Amino acid sequence: MTAALECRDLWKSYSSKRVGLKTLLLRPEVARTSRYARRWALQGVSFKVSRGQGFGVLGANGMGKTTLLSVLLGIVQPDRGSVSVQGRVASLLELGAGFHPELSGRDNVFLYGSILGMRLHEVEERYHAIVEFSELGDAVEEPLRTYSNGMVTRLGFSLIAHAPADVFLIDEVLAVGDARFQEKCRRHLQEFRKRNGTLVIVSHDMEALAEVCDEGIRLEMGEVTDAGPIGDVVRRYQRP
Amino acid sequence: MIERSPWQLLEFLYLLARMELKARYKGRFLGYLGAVGLIFALAFVFWIAFKVIMGLDLPNYSVYLVAGLFPWAWMSMGVVSASRSFVANAGLIKEMGIAHAILPLSNVVQEMMHFALALPLIVAWVAIPGDYPPTWSWLWQIPLLMALQLVFVYPLALAAALANAYVRDIEYWLGIGFVLLFFATPMVYPVSMVPEGLARYFELNPFHALMECWRTVFIESRFDATHAAYAAAFAAVEGVVVWFLYRRFAPRVGEVV
Repeated sequence: MTAALECRDLWKSYSSKRVGLKTLLLRPEVARTSRYARRWALQGVSFKVSRGQGFGVLGANGMGKTTLLSVLLGIVQPDRGSVSVQGRVASLLELGAGFHPELSGRDNVFLYGSILGMRLHEVEERYHAIVEFSELGDAVEEPLRTYSNGMVTRLGFSLIAHAPADVFLIDEVLAVGDARFQEKCRRHLQEFRKRNGTLVIVSHDMEALAEVCDEGIRLEMGEVTDAGPIGDVVRRYQRP
Repeated sequence: MIERSPWQLLEFLYLLARMELKARYKGRFLGYLGAVGLIFALAFVFWIAFKVIMGLDLPNYSVYLVAGLFPWAWMSMGVVSASRSFVANAGLIKEMGIAHAILPLSNVVQEMMHFALALPLIVAWVAIPGDYPPTWSWLWQIPLLMALQLVFVYPLALAAALANAYVRDIEYWLGIGFVLLFFATPMVYPVSMVPEGLARYFELNPFHALMECWRTVFIESRFDATHAAYAAAFAAVEGVVVWFLYRRFAPRVGEVV
């Protein structure tokens, strides 16, 4: 099988301070040193995901999971190491990040679709399928600020689900919506994999991970401390 | 990174700008009148202060004001709102990884759409009193100047957005800077009134060159090629400098917003 996604020896650190104009002008030495106040978020992370595979990244909060996805997505540059991804990527790092509260559900579908890299005609072709999957019905004409969290989540997921992508990067989103809708999302992800799509999911929801992934790693303080079939990684994580 | 074709980028830019305008006015005509009315009110205040009270001797003063204030509002509001674009859209940058450069462009294009929507009123304002009848040459002069202003303003907007991402209080300083520049460009009195020794420095100001072009088009129906060339040269230098800054600083924007 060919690798859909591969990363080799990723290192990433953040500086923790924010610099204002006053600091920059009056105390440049502080501005300079705070840039080197390193906090490692990723330390030598390497793994490979084959096409059609589901890959889970396990770890508690603040262990570098989201940083890893941001590096895979190309938003954050690693200090060292490299990433290669084959095909179109769609990400679902935070549901509703691109939504505008004052616009209607319909306008948001077009805006968000465009953010995801779709052409207008592509969104138009998929519009009915998107609205149907989201189960919003007539509410799609109302402004988004009148929606409940669940409705926003459903609309966000159905947009992503209909975006043309070969690789999906997902952060913690399987834990949202009601049980029935979650089940629908899982089924959709399974089908996506059957069509040879690749999934990378970051989560602390073990059950959901075990259900849609085959392999995985465990991140602790930015380091890979466990790797293998997802069932084993989850088991070792729960009973150390 | 999400791959985008040039057509997709154009559509994206159009949607960003149109949706932002739609959200701001919610399709209400009054919203549009309010935005345009603000600038006319400003012109009215300056007209009262300088013409009526201080007795400024400039026959076409109300036209002079309106011809400059609208392009000025496009520029200053475009750059100031663009300075917030990375910080305000941190979610889009961090979660979706969209190309940063398009966000400030969307702000500048939004303000350009405002300007375009106000154009009929500006033209009416200039033409109806009868001293400056509209001419066919406006049909190419105005779009050409709009294009010039777009390439003039966009690098400034991009630089402002970058700077504000790294140094968070830049947006307030920008507001102050534009107020100072407003009187130094000058927008409310002609350079011909400036003492000769100082006027030289006013002529060096590229913002003055651009605004002078607008006023020449509306008042004389003439394309001021000298000032336009100066503004274009400045835009080219800006473009190169900001391109290098962008290449150097954009990759880490996702971490600092």
